[in-house]
Amino acid sequence: MSTEPNSDRVELLQGTLDMLILRTLLFGPAHGHAIAHAIEQGSADVLQVEHGSLYPALHRLVRQGLLAAKDGISENNRKAKFYRLTPKGCKHLLNESSKWDRLTEAIGRIMRPSESGS
Amino acid sequence: MGPADGGDRTHHAAFGKRFMSRFKRDPDPVSAEIQDYLERETARNLEAGMSPEEAAFAARRKLGPVARVTEETREAAAGGILTWIEMLWRDLRHGVRMFAKNPAFTLTCVVSLAFGTGANVAMFSGADAMLLRPLPVPRPGEIVRVGSAFTLGDFSFIRTSYLNYLDILQQSHSFNGLTAIATVTYGIAAEEHSTAQVKSGAAVTANFFDVMGVHPVLGRGFRPEEDQVRGRDAVIVLSYATWQGMGADPKILGRVARVGGIDFTVVGVMPESFSGPDRDAKPAFYIPTMMWPVITGDPGTLDDRAYWAMDVKGRLRQAITERQAQAELDTIAANLERAHRDTNRNQRLTIATELEMNIRQNRVYTALVAILTLLSMAVLIVACANVAGLLTSRAPLRSREIALRLAIGAGRARLIRQLLTESSLMALAGGVLGLPLAYISIQLLRQIQFPNDLAFVPRLELDQRALLFSMVIAMGSVILFGLIPAIQTTRTNLATAFKSGSSAEPGRRRFWGRNLLLAVQVAFSLVLLTLSVFTYRAFAGELSDAVLFRRDHIAMMTLRPRGLRYTDDQAKQFYQMLLDRVRALPGVTSAALSTAKPAGGMDPIAIAPEGFHFPPGQTSVIAAGSRISESYFETLGIRILRGRGIAATDTSSSPLVTVVNETLAEHYWPNQDPIGRRILVDGRWTEIVGIARNSRYLFPTEPPTDFLYVPYRQVPLLDLTLFAGTAGDSAGMIEPLRKLVADINANMPVYNIQTMEYYYSARVTIIGHVITEIIGAMGLMGLTLAMIGLYALMSYSVSRRTREIGVRMAVGADRTNVMTMIVRQGLIPVLAGIAIGLLLSAGAAQLLRTSFPLGYDIGPATYGTVAPLLLFIALAAAYFPARRAALVDPMTALRDE
Repeated sequence: MSTEPNSDRVELLQGTLDMLILRTLLFGPAHGHAIAHAIEQGSADVLQVEHGSLYPALHRLVRQGLLAAKDGISENNRKAKFYRLTPKGCKHLLNESSKWDRLTEAIGRIMRPSESGS
Repeated sequence: MGPADGGDRTHHAAFGKRFMSRFKRDPDPVSAEIQDYLERETARNLEAGMSPEEAAFAARRKLGPVARVTEETREAAAGGILTWIEMLWRDLRHGVRMFAKNPAFTLTCVVSLAFGTGANVAMFSGADAMLLRPLPVPRPGEIVRVGSAFTLGDFSFIRTSYLNYLDILQQSHSFNGLTAIATVTYGIAAEEHSTAQVKSGAAVTANFFDVMGVHPVLGRGFRPEEDQVRGRDAVIVLSYATWQGMGADPKILGRVARVGGIDFTVVGVMPESFSGPDRDAKPAFYIPTMMWPVITGDPGTLDDRAYWAMDVKGRLRQAITERQAQAELDTIAANLERAHRDTNRNQRLTIATELEMNIRQNRVYTALVAILTLLSMAVLIVACANVAGLLTSRAPLRSREIALRLAIGAGRARLIRQLLTESSLMALAGGVLGLPLAYISIQLLRQIQFPNDLAFVPRLELDQRALLFSMVIAMGSVILFGLIPAIQTTRTNLATAFKSGSSAEPGRRRFWGRNLLLAVQVAFSLVLLTLSVFTYRAFAGELSDAVLFRRDHIAMMTLRPRGLRYTDDQAKQFYQMLLDRVRALPGVTSAALSTAKPAGGMDPIAIAPEGFHFPPGQTSVIAAGSRISESYFETLGIRILRGRGIAATDTSSSPLVTVVNETLAEHYWPNQDPIGRRILVDGRWTEIVGIARNSRYLFPTEPPTDFLYVPYRQVPLLDLTLFAGTAGDSAGMIEPLRKLVADINANMPVYNIQTMEYYYSARVTIIGHVITEIIGAMGLMGLTLAMIGLYALMSYSVSRRTREIGVRMAVGADRTNVMTMIVRQGLIPVLAGIAIGLLLSAGAAQLLRTSFPLGYDIGPATYGTVAPLLLFIALAAAYFPARRAALVDPMTALRDE
C-alpha cells in the first residue's frame, strides 16, 4: 500500500520468504532489522522484501518451532529480539533447499530449453 | 525437538504475559519489536545522509503500514483462537469507546432496540403460550388431527365418532398409527370415601402411548387386549400431577383410583413433561376406550356413528404429504358416505396440524395474537427506522473515521469485523435491555385468570426460545439497518472522504432515502397509534358499557349429574329439588340454571327458521345458544324486550318454545315480529315466545351475536350451572349452597364454585385491563420512538444544511423565511407518511374486522385523534431544529466549513 513497485526489483514468490529467513540465520542468530537487510543485500538488492511482511513470517516460524526467539543485546548495546535456527529449522531448510533446487531447475528448463539441455 | 519445545513454552509464557498486559495497557513486545525496527532503520537512513524527517519517513515507508504489520505479526505469533479472542476484546473495547463518545446516539439506538425486542418477545411469549408451543412429544411436527370438520360461526373443530375412526384406521395408509381420544369429565378420588375432585380425563385407544411416543415413567400403558372387550379391563394411567395430588406414592401401581364411582386399577403414571395430547386437553387420567361407555353409562359413545366426540390423532408417514393424505381421506369419506348415508352425508374428512387446530379452535387467542403481532411488528419497524435514521445521520462522521483507518493500513475485512462487533454489541445491549420490558409485559399477561377449574391455562414463560427470538430480532434489525450502511461506508473513496469532510453533498439518493425513512416511520407510528386507540376504545368501551347482565350478588356452581350416571328423569328430579331448596334458602332472592355463563360459553344448536332460504345443500345453520330454567332472565338481569321468558311450565310434555335475542330476531325476521313464528331447533319445530335483550355470550368484546335460549326441561340430560341471586354478600352464600347440594347427594360432582364478582373480574375486567395496558404501552412506545426518530432526523437534516442556510441568509432571507422553509420541507415526508399510514390502518382494520370478535370499528374519531397528534409531534420535531437553524449567524455558518 505504501511502497511503490520498482521495475528492476523482483517481488518475492509466496513462501520463499520463509526459506530466505532460515537461510540467513544459518550464519548465526540475528534480529529482525538485520535479517531484512541481509536478505536484501544478499540478493544484491534485486529481491524486494517488504520489511513489514518479515515480522509476521518470523513469528510464524517461531510458532512452527523452526526458529527460537530470545531477548539479547545487539552490537550497538541495544536491547533486541534475536532469532536463531532450531535443529528442526535446519532440517526444514535442507528439505526446502533441495526442493527449491529441483524447482528452479525445472523452471529453467522450461524458460530456457537450449541452455539447460546440454 | 528439545529447543523447539523450550521456545514454544517461553513463547506461550510470553504470550500469556502479553495477553495480560493488554489489560494493564503496557506496550507489548510486538510493538516494541517493530518500534525497534523503525529506530534502527531511521538510524541507518541518517547515516546515509538523510534529514531526520526524511529518515523517519523512509523507515516507515520501508516497513509498510505500521498498524497492519503489528496486527499481522500478533496474529502470526499467536495463531488460532487466542488472537481471535484478543481481537474481539480489542473490537469490543473500541466499540464501547465509540459508544461512550456518543452517549445520546447510543442510548437512543439501544432504547429503540429495547422497545422493539421487548415488545416482540412479549408478543412471542404470548403467541407461544396460546398457539405456537409444540406438543410435548417426540417429533411433534408429524402429529396431525383427522376427522369431520364442523363450523360454528367463527369457530371450527374436527371430530370423529368411534365407528368412523375404526373405518378410517382400516382404510388409510398415510399414517403411522391413529389414536382416538375422548374427553371424560368425572370426579376422581384415591379411594371410595375420600372426596372426589372433578377432573377432565381421556378415554384413549390402546395405541395412544405408542402414537404419542410417550410412555409412563412408572408402570406401563395399555395392552392391546385391555382395549378389546367392553367394560372388562378397568385400568387407569394417571397424569403426573394427579399422581402427585394423590400423595406421589411410588408404590401406587396396582392400587385403586375411583373415577365416576368406578374402581380402576392404576397401571401407570405419565411423565411430568407430558401435559396432554393437545394444547387444550390436559387430562388428569387416561382410561381405555372400552371403559368409556361404562363410565358414561351410554353405549352410544361407541355404537353411534353420529356421536362426534372423539379427536383422532396420528403421525403422518414419512414422505407422505398432507395433500396426499387429504386425497386418501377424500376417498374414505366418499366410501363412508356411500355406506352410511344417514350419518355421513356431506361429512368431509379433513386433516389439520396442531397449529392449524389451535388457530381454528381459538379464534379469540388467534385474534389477540394477530393484534399483538401487528402492534409489536409496528413497534419494531419504527424502532428499526429510528436506528437506521440515527446511523444514517452518523454515516458522514463514520466514513471519515473509516477512511482514516483504511489509510493507516487496516484491511477491509478487519474493518467490517470491527463494525460487526459494534453492531452486535448494540444489538446485545438492546436485546438485554428489552428483556426486562418483555418480563414486565409477561407479568401483566400473567394476571389474566381463567375462572374455570377445567380450562386450559396458557403457561406464559420467558424461556430460551423467547430469548433466542429476542436476540435474532435485535441482531437482524441491527445488521439490516446498521451493518449494511456501515459496509457501504468502507467502500469510501479516501480522497473525497477527507476532502469534503462532513459537508459532503447530501446527494439526491441520500435525500430520498432520508425522506423515505421519515415517511415510513410516520406511517407505522400512525398504524400503531390507531390500532392502540382502537383496541383501547373497544375494551374500555366494554368495561364502561351499559350493563348487559348482572355482575354482582350471584353465587354460581356447576353440577354434573352425568358423573353419577343419572338417567334423564333422575337428573330432572335432582335439578327441580335443587331449585326448590335453593329458593327456600334464607338470603337467596332467586335461583336459575343454565348450560352457559354470560360471556363464558355457549351450546352449538342447529337452527332453521321456517321459510328461510339457505344456500343449496344446506338445511340448517349452527347458532349459539344455551339451555336454561325459569327465572334465568330475572336472576341475570337480562331484559325480555317482548313476549315472555322461559317458564317452569315449559316441560317435556308442553309445546316446544324458545326465546331468541335481538340480533337473531333481526337477522331472520328483519322488520317483522318473530313472536309466534316457528323455527327448527336441533331438528324439532319450536315456537318463538320472546325476544331477549342482547348480552355477551362468548367474549367480552364480541360483536352482536345470534343467540337463542331453550328450556332445559325440553332437552335431554345436561350439566347445568346454578345461579343464585343473593340479598347480601354472594361469597357468604357459597358454603350454604355447597352444603345444600351435599345434603341432596353427597356424591354429586360440583365444580367452578365461585361468585359472579370473581368470575366477571377474571373473565372480563382483568383481561380488559391487561390488554388495554399492553396495547396502550405499545402505542406509547411507538409514540416515543416516533418523537425521538423524527427529532433526530430533522435535526440531522438541518445540521447538514447549516451552510446552505448561511448562504440564504447572507443573500437576504430572513429568519422567518428560513424557518418556514425548513418546516415545510420537513413536513412533506411527514404528510406523505400520514397518508400512507391512514391507508395501512384501513387495511389493518379490515384484517381485524375479519378475524377479531370486536364489536367496534376504527371510527373517524380514532383517525381524528391520531393523525393530528402525529402532525403536531412532527411540527414540534421540525420546529426546534428549524429555530436553531434560523438563529445561525450567517458568517459563522459560512466560516464553519
